[in-house]
Amino acid sequence: MSDPSSRRVVEIGPFHPLLEEPVGFSLTVEGERVVAIEARMDYIHKGLERLAQERTYDMVPILLERICGICSVTHSVCFCNAVEDLLGVEIPPRAAYIRTIIGELERLHSHLLWVGLAGHFIGYNTVFMWAWKYREPVCDAFEMLTGHRQNSALPLVGGVRRDLPVEYFPAIRKVLDELEGQTERLTSAVLDDPVLAARLKGVGVLTQNAALDFGVVGPTARASGLDTDVRRDEPYAAYGELDWKVITQPDGDVFAKAVVRLLEIFESIKILRQCMERIPAGPLNLGTLHVPTGEGIGRYEAPRGEDVHYVRSNGTNMPERLKVRAPSYVNIPSFKASCLGAPMADVMITLAACDPCYSCTERAMVLVGRDGAPISPVPGLLAASQRKTFELAREMGRRPDLDRANWRR
Amino acid sequence: MDAGLVATRLREAFGPRVNPTVRSPKRLYASLDAADLPEVARWLWTNLPGSRLATSTGIDLRDGVGLFHHFAINGSPLLITLKVLLAKPDPHAPTLAGETAAADWIEREIHDLLGVVFDGHPDARRLLKAESMAGEFPLRRDFDAAEFKERIDERPEF
Repeated sequence: MSDPSSRRVVEIGPFHPLLEEPVGFSLTVEGERVVAIEARMDYIHKGLERLAQERTYDMVPILLERICGICSVTHSVCFCNAVEDLLGVEIPPRAAYIRTIIGELERLHSHLLWVGLAGHFIGYNTVFMWAWKYREPVCDAFEMLTGHRQNSALPLVGGVRRDLPVEYFPAIRKVLDELEGQTERLTSAVLDDPVLAARLKGVGVLTQNAALDFGVVGPTARASGLDTDVRRDEPYAAYGELDWKVITQPDGDVFAKAVVRLLEIFESIKILRQCMERIPAGPLNLGTLHVPTGEGIGRYEAPRGEDVHYVRSNGTNMPERLKVRAPSYVNIPSFKASCLGAPMADVMITLAACDPCYSCTERAMVLVGRDGAPISPVPGLLAASQRKTFELAREMGRRPDLDRANWRR
Repeated sequence: MDAGLVATRLREAFGPRVNPTVRSPKRLYASLDAADLPEVARWLWTNLPGSRLATSTGIDLRDGVGLFHHFAINGSPLLITLKVLLAKPDPHAPTLAGETAAADWIEREIHDLLGVVFDGHPDARRLLKAESMAGEFPLRRDFDAAEFKERIDERPEF
């Protein structure tokens, strides 16, 4: 089996036109098995940490919204948490609820995006279509509340910049009601599907020890049985006053990660409903704040896990140093533990399972097949992943996509 | 676990070698010598269950290069920051990458941006910086962005 002469290096990435972030992966394979994996991450280093040192505290949150195409609320609120830790202030309750509402809407659309992509990678394109269709009204809801589908420009050190238009809350409730029913049907269809269980259980396992060693966070950690969630561990915004629970799964495989994310969608809906009901009246921010010399650390539970910002102030109106640690930064290296020994057909979904900002996987350089002929690798990799699902389905005598009978039930 | 309690236990275990400061019940900062870093980090991993290296910060200060390791604990609000000051112009620090996989990338990043050499790092290659910037450390105070831009500016020739 282990024959070094059969080793090939498969390059995945770094660019794909559909997705936002280039990353390159080098897989060393022996036949079908992956024996080494390495990531390269130097394609779009934007120098945002240095740029933030040239912006005032009011301008930095707006700059940080541009770090990620999905997590715009994440980074700006995380920076505010850090500066508020430095200042030792509490934000007004209304601002806390507004931050919670926009943060959870972001989590909803991010998780739905992942469910769709994961479905596509294993050939369940019905899941892809449905999840992205359900995601659309959530982005619209975000736009109704903030004026933009992604970037709200709301967070501000000491509170939020503007109020939310409460007259849209009934419309948001309607979106949530519909989404809850849709996600329930999608979840039961996905969890009850025997082909999906056979395809995803035991695939890309990240053990609890490896999860702790790599320091993974968020759904990736929770699916490996680590009970960690910044929203509960160090409640920021309004999470301390709300009733919701942390979802964990013990298995660490791709299936467990899917379960965690799908069930977290319901928790987010629950949080949003409570927030819209209980949002108190009051001021939106603390007004102009002078940031004294000092340092502070902020944490935020992004859709992908714990985000950490370190801020150091020298008493001027700009931070002396801002350090940003996004969750994917610790989640991506865990591929080294979860991909080794996996067959090529499972690599795609294993890489996707921790929801990296993910552009990497779909473009690759030329891969030489065993007969010496070049094959087109990423379409090849995607096809291999989808073919494995089809073969499993055929063996089990089922449709190679979600069963419609199951869906209508 | 409370920051004050961890500070007391750190003092018991390491005496004057570690100098902890409690800023709030959730935030503990401790300054120490670079040589003691692996030992104190190991102590944290052994004595605080669920603790992990969340990230590290490198910063160019007046007296040297500051290297801050931030430790988080799953299920707890406590963040512990171990701070060491490395002498310029050739800052060296012992690596944690041999002990935890979480230190691998962040140490390579700090080497890229600030030029800190992590002694004993198993795989100290470039991570983030462009290949053309070898030998340039963009987060150092003496890095002149305008001058650098002028120097590397490549225009197509007519």
